[in-house]
Amino acid sequence: MKFGYLIIVAEHDTIDYVQLAYGLALSIKNTQRPGFDQVALVIDNKQKLQNIKSDWVFDHVIEWDQETFWDGRSWMDQLSPFDNTVCLDADMLFLRDYSHWAEYFIENSELYIANKSFTYRGETVTDQYYRKAFVKNQLPNLYSFYTFFKKDSELAKEFFNLGRDIIKNPVEFANMFLSEHKPKILGTDEAFALAAKILDITDVISYDLDFPRVVHMKPMIQNWPWPADAWSDHVGFYLNNKGHLKIGNYQQQDIVHYVEKDKMNREMISILEEIAWKN
Amino acid sequence: MTKGILIYAHNNRSVDYALMSIVAGGLAKKQLQVPASLVTDQSTIDWMHESKIYDKAQEVFENIIIVPRPPANNYRRLHDGVDHSTVTFMNGNRYSAWKQTPYDRTLMIDADFFIFSKTLGEYWDVDNDILIGESINDIYDNNRLGYCDRYISEVGTKLYWATTVMFTKNSYTKLFFDLVQIILDNYQYFADTYRFDSKQYRNDVAFSIAKHILDGFENIDTLSLPPVLTLLDKDILHDVDQDKLTVLVSHKLDANFCAATLKNTDIHIMNKQSIVRNISKLMELV
Repeated sequence: MKFGYLIIVAEHDTIDYVQLAYGLALSIKNTQRPGFDQVALVIDNKQKLQNIKSDWVFDHVIEWDQETFWDGRSWMDQLSPFDNTVCLDADMLFLRDYSHWAEYFIENSELYIANKSFTYRGETVTDQYYRKAFVKNQLPNLYSFYTFFKKDSELAKEFFNLGRDIIKNPVEFANMFLSEHKPKILGTDEAFALAAKILDITDVISYDLDFPRVVHMKPMIQNWPWPADAWSDHVGFYLNNKGHLKIGNYQQQDIVHYVEKDKMNREMISILEEIAWKN
Repeated sequence: MTKGILIYAHNNRSVDYALMSIVAGGLAKKQLQVPASLVTDQSTIDWMHESKIYDKAQEVFENIIIVPRPPANNYRRLHDGVDHSTVTFMNGNRYSAWKQTPYDRTLMIDADFFIFSKTLGEYWDVDNDILIGESINDIYDNNRLGYCDRYISEVGTKLYWATTVMFTKNSYTKLFFDLVQIILDNYQYFADTYRFDSKQYRNDVAFSIAKHILDGFENIDTLSLPPVLTLLDKDILHDVDQDKLTVLVSHKLDANFCAATLKNTDIHIMNKQSIVRNISKLMELV
């Protein structure tokens, strides 16, 4: 049963999502054990990969331009070349071997979506600043940044079909199901949470587990005593030449969803490339 | 393995820590059924003789260990209910506990931490080299506490409370206490790195950073000593009747108080003057 990570990106005016995906793929190659280090990239234009020094980090490159970036992720089940897939957000970094998480899901799940996130200090995020629509509409607290699914799962098929419907018809679904608080953008998290609620499968696809552990660097949920526009105004981001990352005083061990896209700059890429080349 | 209590007491012109340490040591001995030792300095000993408490101290402590008086370069504002004064305090030698303790397994407590239960006795045989008070619990409501009662700074690490520390004397804990000394000696550097206010040296901060570093710069979910139940210094210890403490708690930290009683509960009483006012009744418990 082939397993791999899927990253879906598309052109953006100001953000180089290819560079983010490249950084993530390098970090996967640097940390995951063989058999759990495959990466597939879905991109709207393959030409954008020309500037990448080590495009071998993408084991599969799938050109697909049917939808924009946000909408594209809801097609993950149809785009993945793997039997078992974890779809990730592009602005993430792998810092140690998480293959055992994937092994568990392959063995025990058809579809699993993360239901918690952590601060850089390792605390479970409880602040609902970015999740008002979830709280007020009683949606399950799903995070699509780590979504596992099996290609041949009927459950996953039904779920993603509904997720796509929601994303394609945000006004209708929001009017019908999110009347207590309509989000400005009905994104993938909201769509997946609503789909899980409508299908009444939350307990099946997002039951309580100690993993996956993802550090979510949105600034307002870091348990700081004041509001923050950008987390990097307050704590440093230090990636050493061994690929070990500290945020503030904290050594990071879990997947880091760094959110601020400029963190994946040339310097970071160089460090990750050098590690990949030495491996 | 020998077990015992260790208390540091260095008097200043305002607070008689030696007097409090006799109560703290006596109560700890009584509840936990282990010997206690005092670490102090010659000038405090001289005062103990002058105030005629030295004999009582000898009765309570199996060892009175004399060390050089730490520098009096630390200041803090101490409240006594609505009143307050700024006093010096000498807390910069706690790192020496590893060297000074005569015990294999030591429970080090502050002189203003009074043990009225057997709870901490449950930790003697726990397989952790060092255990520190996990947090502070305000006797009234944790809403009275500030952010920096829970973290060493706004963006820094979790704050442990060195009011209670239990450790086994071994190479790992030597490293720990050596690191506490390094943090003390380079306090400004660590203040810059961990973004806390360096104006006042706090053992809680130094111990928290040492733990953070030795845990691999992470929050490791290991066992700690229980949260330190605390009566803030704007509250008042009003009366002691047998083992029942009556306290006046100001829920808004102002001049309005409500009365409460405590029994069979370990308590950190930050209002030191109110301890001294009740010292004769507390001494009767020892």
